Amino acid sequence: MRNLVFDDIEIAHVEVAKRAARDFAAALAETQQFKAFEQTYEILSHDVAAQQALSAYRGKAESLRALLMLNAVSEAERAELERLKQDYLTRASVQAFAAAEAELTALCQQAAGMISAAIGLNYAASCGASCCG
Amino acid sequence: MPLPAAHPAVGDAMPKTENLPPELYEATDGLIQNLLASEPFLAYQQSRVQMKSNSQAQTLIERLSALQTELRRKQTNGSVTQADIEELRAVQAQVQANATLMAYASTQQDAVNFLREINQEISQLLGVDFATLAKQSTC
Repeated sequence: MRNLVFDDIEIAHVEVAKRAARDFAAALAETQQFKAFEQTYEILSHDVAAQQALSAYRGKAESLRALLMLNAVSEAERAELERLKQDYLTRASVQAFAAAEAELTALCQQAAGMISAAIGLNYAASCGASCCG
Repeated sequence: MPLPAAHPAVGDAMPKTENLPPELYEATDGLIQNLLASEPFLAYQQSRVQMKSNSQAQTLIERLSALQTELRRKQTNGSVTQADIEELRAVQAQVQANATLMAYASTQQDAVNFLREINQEISQLLGVDFATLAKQSTC
């Protein structure tokens, strides 16, 4: 780190900032939104039928990948792919997880927005999270 | 815990946070205070102020940005000339020779690296990447 002079400003040590980060994480983990996220994830990961539905959809999508890229999938194949997708998405455990994830995402965006506004850097973008996943 | 002298007014206006639970709001504020009081962020804010008050640096950045926009426009209709490229390179060289701009870029990168360390700390405890959860879906 280069030599810097910050008159009359107390500088926080890295470890102190990291402790504040852990305190933040602990506070987030205690929220109702995070607990619901964990709980619904647990239920989803143990829902065998949901995992099978996901696997069936992924298998079909993978088998059609080249044709999908060429936009050359038949109507029947496309309908079958959509049916498999809906089989997965309409399962109660999937919907519960998606709802919990959306709630947690909204909360995290709010907290990260507060950090970004204060520090003058976009938190999510700076940490490498692009909007396109 | 060292307390920063003041909460610098940087960046945009604070977003609405009325839905943050009080404990989370307090922890978020604590994290902000510590980030702002950290060496990478103090250096970044200092160089940012210097960059903003340096008219030559401002002019160079505006010139570079305008040239890049113009070049992108010309690329789309295939009208880029050798002179365009040389002009861009010349301005890029001036930017690289400008100590204020280089200090700004360097301290910003240090701040970003530090923020990534902080995010790793948060994510390790949560078991999920906080930055990914916090990203705004725009596409």
